[in-house]
Parts: sequence; structure tokens; C-alpha cells
Amino acid sequence: MEFFIDGVPMQAEDGQTVIQAARANGVDIPHFCWHPELSVPGNCRICMVEVEQEKGDPWFDIACNMPVTEGMRVLLHSEKIVRLRKQTMQFITLNHPVDCGICNKSGECTLQDFHYAHNGQASLSRDAKTHATKFFPLSDRIMLDNERCIMCTLCVRFTNEVSQSKALCAVNRGDHALIRPAEDANFDNDQYSDNVIDLCPVGALLSRQLLDHARVWYLQPTRSVCPGCERGCSIDIWHRKPEWALRALDPRLNTRIDRVTPHENPEVNGLWVCNKARDLAALFERPRATQATLGGAATDLATATASAARLIAAARHPVALVSSWGSNEELAAFATALAPHVQPFVKADHLPLPGEVVEDHLLIKPDKNPNRRAALALFPALPGTLAEAITPQTDLVLVWGEGFDGSAVPAGARVIRLDAYADPVQAQADVFIPVSIQTERSGHYTNFAGVVSPFTACFAPAAGIAHAEELFRAIGLALAPAVAGALTGPAA
Amino acid sequence: MSGTKFFMNFPVTETSHLLDAYTARGGYQALAKALQMQPADVTKEVSAGGILGHGGAAFPAGRKWGVVKLNDGEPHYVCMNADEGEPGTFKDRWLLEHVPHMCLEGLIIGSFALMGRHAFIYIRGEFDLPYRRMAAAIEEAYANNLLGENILGSGYSCDVVLYRGAGSYVCGEASAMLASLEGKKGWPRNRPPRLTVKGLYQKPTVVNNVETLANIPVIIGRGAAEFKKVGTPKSPGTQMISISGHIARPGVYEVEYGYSWEKFIYEDCGGMQDGAALKCIIPGGVSTKLLSAKELEGLTLDHISAVAGGSQLGSGGMMAIAEATCMVRVAQVIQRFYHHESCGQCTPCREGMGWMERILDRIVAGHGRMEDIERLYEIGEANDGTTICSLGDSAGYANTAILDHYREEFEYYITNGRSMYDGRLTVSDPFASALAGAGARG
Repeated sequence: MEFFIDGVPMQAEDGQTVIQAARANGVDIPHFCWHPELSVPGNCRICMVEVEQEKGDPWFDIACNMPVTEGMRVLLHSEKIVRLRKQTMQFITLNHPVDCGICNKSGECTLQDFHYAHNGQASLSRDAKTHATKFFPLSDRIMLDNERCIMCTLCVRFTNEVSQSKALCAVNRGDHALIRPAEDANFDNDQYSDNVIDLCPVGALLSRQLLDHARVWYLQPTRSVCPGCERGCSIDIWHRKPEWALRALDPRLNTRIDRVTPHENPEVNGLWVCNKARDLAALFERPRATQATLGGAATDLATATASAARLIAAARHPVALVSSWGSNEELAAFATALAPHVQPFVKADHLPLPGEVVEDHLLIKPDKNPNRRAALALFPALPGTLAEAITPQTDLVLVWGEGFDGSAVPAGARVIRLDAYADPVQAQADVFIPVSIQTERSGHYTNFAGVVSPFTACFAPAAGIAHAEELFRAIGLALAPAVAGALTGPAA
Repeated sequence: MSGTKFFMNFPVTETSHLLDAYTARGGYQALAKALQMQPADVTKEVSAGGILGHGGAAFPAGRKWGVVKLNDGEPHYVCMNADEGEPGTFKDRWLLEHVPHMCLEGLIIGSFALMGRHAFIYIRGEFDLPYRRMAAAIEEAYANNLLGENILGSGYSCDVVLYRGAGSYVCGEASAMLASLEGKKGWPRNRPPRLTVKGLYQKPTVVNNVETLANIPVIIGRGAAEFKKVGTPKSPGTQMISISGHIARPGVYEVEYGYSWEKFIYEDCGGMQDGAALKCIIPGGVSTKLLSAKELEGLTLDHISAVAGGSQLGSGGMMAIAEATCMVRVAQVIQRFYHHESCGQCTPCREGMGWMERILDRIVAGHGRMEDIERLYEIGEANDGTTICSLGDSAGYANTAILDHYREEFEYYITNGRSMYDGRLTVSDPFASALAGAGARG
């Protein structure tokens, strides 16, 4: 149907509200409490619009709850609407502390943006502001600053409608109303709790991970994929911009994951991610393996690569355990360069941790590896037990990635390990080669449903660390003459 | 006071509220009559009676019932709004205490007309005696086959749920009441959808005031034509009025619509206490705009006349204010109520109520500024039609009506730091406590 915004004809679908139709036509109507994925409470009142009537006085209502009708004529910039928006901003900032200088949301605050866009006027109030709890620990992960809360209730509705933990509620009345944990619920148990930090349009809900660590304008997002389970949620990994790199302080701060936020992807995760994705810093920033070794003695990459090729060429019953955290590109390289020379099996790098939610109604999937589907498309899965894959005849085991139990290796068999993290048993490998992690390389993962999502390198790997994809090619190249030699025997 | 009385037409005794007494007065005959009719015909009869809702908005009750589609396959609910919380309004309390069966009969007829299987009574938490009497009435009705399965052998079955509110003014607002009934926080909902489309549990629901439902047995029993003979053509029937303030004989009265307002105040209610002059009337609860003694002249007690006079009859909760009352203080008291009762859901009301109260507190404490008057107007305007329910509007109307009528009192107070009537009227000094950083929100 056709309708008009400020006289400009636009198209709307049946059942759309004015705010939805406006967005679909590229017109943004200011809003705090409205969210495309949540119910419509219409409580912020900033999206008030004027509707011209053929007869009689114009009609004023909120765009988020008003269905579009054929020929409707909506005004966003009439004198009355501009004044109402200004008045609403006056109300919203009335008891807000306006402490932008110390607020973690500064730089991303909708209230700040709307103040400049629709008000721009100092507070008209000459009275003291009401005060509320400055720091209320809502959970182990989230701090609530009640003074900044504008009662949009996005967080309450998220826990009711999306995460379904029903962990938050609004208590008290009037300007004493507060967001609080529900009486019989624990916000710590909400696997999606950190999404409310992104939802909060002001600096009321704060990530205790990020609080006072960095300003958003020092950071940049890099698109990535959460490797926490086979869902493979699209995410943005936020890290320090190169131009704001620190020299005087600990340089590791320059390669730190400061925060993780969802990257909207309707095919995979919509607008949300679970808390496991938020904790990728802890997952990725474990002590790294940085040194290639031969029998526990340090060596360089080229020597280690050549040694690995030699061992493979010499083996009669080589078995390879393929990482299900490898990217599509790495798996393809493995398939081309190494698979003809070894008996490959796909292994799980990670299993559910004790106490971890294995599967739920929303995003979390039982397989805790991001790319097993792609790996299984190329290679067979491990049999029931590792011992079935690694037989007494096995004389070489190539292990790529984590999650390997060394006890299954037959005595006398050689071991080649490619891993990113420091491991106390790495010295036991005949050849150990440190490889890069997801944040140091680019590639794609294929999730459980077959959707391919890209990830991009955030940081460069340290010297001495190989990209597995290049490593496989190098071993393959080294392997070709070695294998040829092995087939023809010693030069006659 | 002469005129027809539908409710206050029997001597109140210790047992006059019981079923036997009510049936002796002809009670439940209208229910028996209605159960012989088609449900849609009951609604038609109510529409023909022309009754306007008695909760305050004065919307035609029959039209509200008629919106519900009887054959839509959905359950339909009728909810009696007995959450009478408007300051100055206590007329429903009288009905609940003294004619609980009449209210119940109206509810059952309404539920039958809408083909509802379950009906609800949402009663104000503070109403103890009305609650106990209604609970007892429901028990009596069940015991006498007036409720439950196969009522009076008609084949129609209805159960009534009596729900006690927790004492929030906003729960008297129909959508907030339904939220509360559902066990949620009593926050109003946006319309659309209307409650008659998606009400209680998202099913078509009609919410009617106690007095509206109490009128239903009268309309059905006497017939719409007879009912319309009482009152005025556009406001048929009677109105229960609770009057308080500086009036000589406060209490609950029943008047026919169209009755002389001045006669009611000066004769029936005995005029003002101690012979004082009437300064103004707040006609229908504090949500309605006040009318000065002069504006009252010639008005009659009906909706058309009240609107013509610049106000509304509202819920019939009338307050009479005598001369030499400081209207700044009146505004402060009213605003304190609205601030306390704002539910906190939508921005203009949540923030505006407190802002207005702080301004009025400061004026009363002798720290007013002339700009405060314009600020009060602005806040009122910003709440006019911009909030989810009408609490914000009402506070704005109440304040601006007082300012419109008595602006000079505010100017005097601000200029002199005290009331033009009797000093500063300062109960406490909220300005001082505000400066000390009091008013913590939690």
C-alpha cells in the first residue's frame, strides 16, 4: 500500500507499523524502546508522529504501535512533533546524570545522539535530580547503573521473550522505577545475558569485562565467527585500532580482544550471541605455543616442516587426526596436500565442558566445534574410540589441533603435532609446529546447517608461527619428492 | 432530594445487602429475564437504554458490548472494574457494600450477553468490607444456582473470579487492570489493539465500571424504554455521586442526570461547612478540570452540561473547595498523588509527574520562580495525549486548570514566598531535603 512521510510517497506491506515501514523505506524514526525482535511497549514516546486527517484535527501517536493504512499521511517534522520530541528528550535527561565523560557507553549512546539531534538544549529543570544506585551488580558479568537507566525495558523484554530466563523485572513506580533481578531468578544463569548490554541504549547496563578498559573510539570491529559450537554465530571482534596502538603500556593490550558483539546474520544467529562468544578473549588468549621443536629441541619452521614431510614419507601406516576447528580453506589444503599420504579422521577439538549448557532453544548447539560439518564432508569421522583409528600397526600420528589424548599412540609410533597453544606434552612430539589461531588468519567456517560464514584476521601472528593452510602446502610440496624418492628407493 | 433512585431506594440495615433482602426487592428477576433472551438481544436492549459508562470516560456501554463478535470462536470475558482509586471517588464502594448482588447480577447478565464462560471482578485491595461482602454474595449466588453450571436451568454456565488488587491507582485503568489480573505488573497497554479485540489473555474483553454493571439489571428489568425516561435524553439514568471536601454534608448521593448542580451543592449537601463561600468544585475526581463557583451556575449534573461547562462529570467523585483555600497547596497535594501513582512505564508521565511535584514543592517552600508557572504548563502540555494511559493527561489537566483559574495565587506565592491566604503552608521543606541529596531511588 502507499503512504506518505512528510509528503514523500512510500510503500508499506500490510500489517507493518509506521516505524517498520519507514525503516523499510530508509527513513529512521527516533526510538529507544522499540526493537525489531521484541514486543512493543511504546514507553519511550520519542517516536511520536503526527498523522494528518482528511477531516478534523491531526492525530498524534507513536510510530512503533501504529499500523500503516492506505494513503496515511505521516509527518515527522511538523512543529508540534519537533516540540514534542524536544520535550521528551527533556524528560529523558531530567534525572539522567549526563555523566558522559565517565560513561562506558559514551561514543555509542543513543541518548547522546538523540540529544544533539532532537534537543540540543540544556536542562530546563532547576531542581536536584533524583539519585539511584550507581553500581548495582546485576550478575557476575553485568553492572547496572540505575541513574542512567531510562526504563526502556529492552533488557526486561529480552529476558522474557528471547533468552526466556525471565531474570529481570521492573520494580517500584514512577521516577523511582528500577530494573532489578526477578525475585526467583538468577541473571548469572542466563546464557544470553550480555546481549542486554548491546540492547541498552544508554550506559545503564555495563559489561564488567569492558568496564573502564577502553573507549569504543579506540576500538575497531573485525567480522568473525564464534567457534564455540557448530552454530558458528557471526560476531564482531573488537580490538584496538592500529592508529591508537599503545607503546608505553603493555603492548599486549594492542592484540587483546576487548569485546565481542553479535554481527547481524539472519541466516545464522539473527541479532544475538550467547555469552560463550563474549568470552572468546579467554579462549583465544591462553598461553600460546610459539616455538617449533624436534624431539623437544627448538628448531625453525623450515626444518620442522621438512622433518614432518620426511616422517610422513617414511611411515607405512600414518594416521592424521584432522581439526574440526580448521577453516574450509585449511581443510581443503589438507585434503589436497596431505590426505593422499595419510589416513585422515576428523576429531573433535573441543567437547562440552562440565556444567556447560549443551543445547538450548535459541542458538547453542551440542557440537562444540565450528567446522565439523565441512571437515566431515572431506574426511571420515573418528570411529567410536580413538583406539579403533590408531591401531597397533600405526607408525605415525599427525595431530592437528587440540583435544588429543596421547595415550592411544602405540609405542614406537612417531608423532607430529600442529597446535596453537602451549601444551605440557608437546615436547613428547617428534615434530611440533605452532600454528596460528582464528584471530590471526582469515577464512570460512561451514556451520551445522551448511551456512558458510567468513572470519577475518584481527592480528598478525608472532614470528615463528605458521598458518596451517600454508604449512600443509609446504609439507605437501616437500612430501612430493620425498615420496617419489621413497617409491623409487635409494638412488641406484 | 427527589427523583428516581435505582440503588439508594431501600433502608440500609445489617442484612439489606444479603441475597434474601435483594430478591425480596426484586433482585435477579432481570437475570431470569435475560436468560430467556438471545445474548445479542440483551446487548441491543442495553444499547437502546443509552447508558453511558460510569467509570469516568462515559463511553456508551452497549456500543462497547456490541463490538465483541459473538461467533468468533474465542472465549469472551467481562471484567468488573471495582478498583475505585480516584481521589474523591467512593461511590462504587457504596454499591459494593450495600448492593453487591445487584452488581453481580449485572456482571452475570453482561457475561451472558457476550457469551462468556468466565467473568472477573477486580476489586481494590484496600476495600475490605466491599471485598468481604462481594465474596459472600458470590458464595450465596453459587449456592442458589445464580452462578456456576446451568444457571436457573437456562443452560448457561458462568463462573466469577474475584481478584483483589494490590492497591495501585493505575490498575483502575482498564488495560493495566487486565495486566494485573494476568499476574503481571500493572502497566497500561498501548491501543490498538482495543481490549474488545485483545484483552485479558489476549481474548476479547469488556471492562465495565461497578455502577455501569449495577445499572444493567435496571435496564433489562424495566426495559430500555422505561430506563430512558429517567435522566436526560443524552445521559439517561442516575448517577451516584460521592462528595467530599469543605461540604457540610459529605457522603454518597444518587441523583437523576439533569439535576441542578447548584441545588445539589447548596441544598442537598447543605452548602459549605461553617457557611463558607464555595470557591470551586472538582467535579469527577481530581482527573477532571475544576469548575469555579461562577462556572457552576446554571449547570446540570449530566455529561453534556459538564463538558459545556469546560470539564467532565468523570467518575462522580466530587470535591467542594471553600474560599480561602490555597490553590497552590491544592495543586501540590494533587500532584503529590500523581507522582506517587505514576506507574513509571512511559517517559512523559514517569518524569513529568515528579518534575511537576518538585516545582510545586519548591514554590510551597518559598523558593518558587516565575518561570515555574510556564514550566508547569509545558509539562502538562507534553503529557497531553502523549502517554500510554490517561494518568499523565489527567495530572496535566488538573494543574493547568488550577493555574488557569488561580494563576494570581501562584504569582503571589512566588513573589512573597507565602500563600495569600495563610502563610507558607509548609508542612516540610522538600527544597531543603532535595538540596541535601535526598530522594534516593534505590
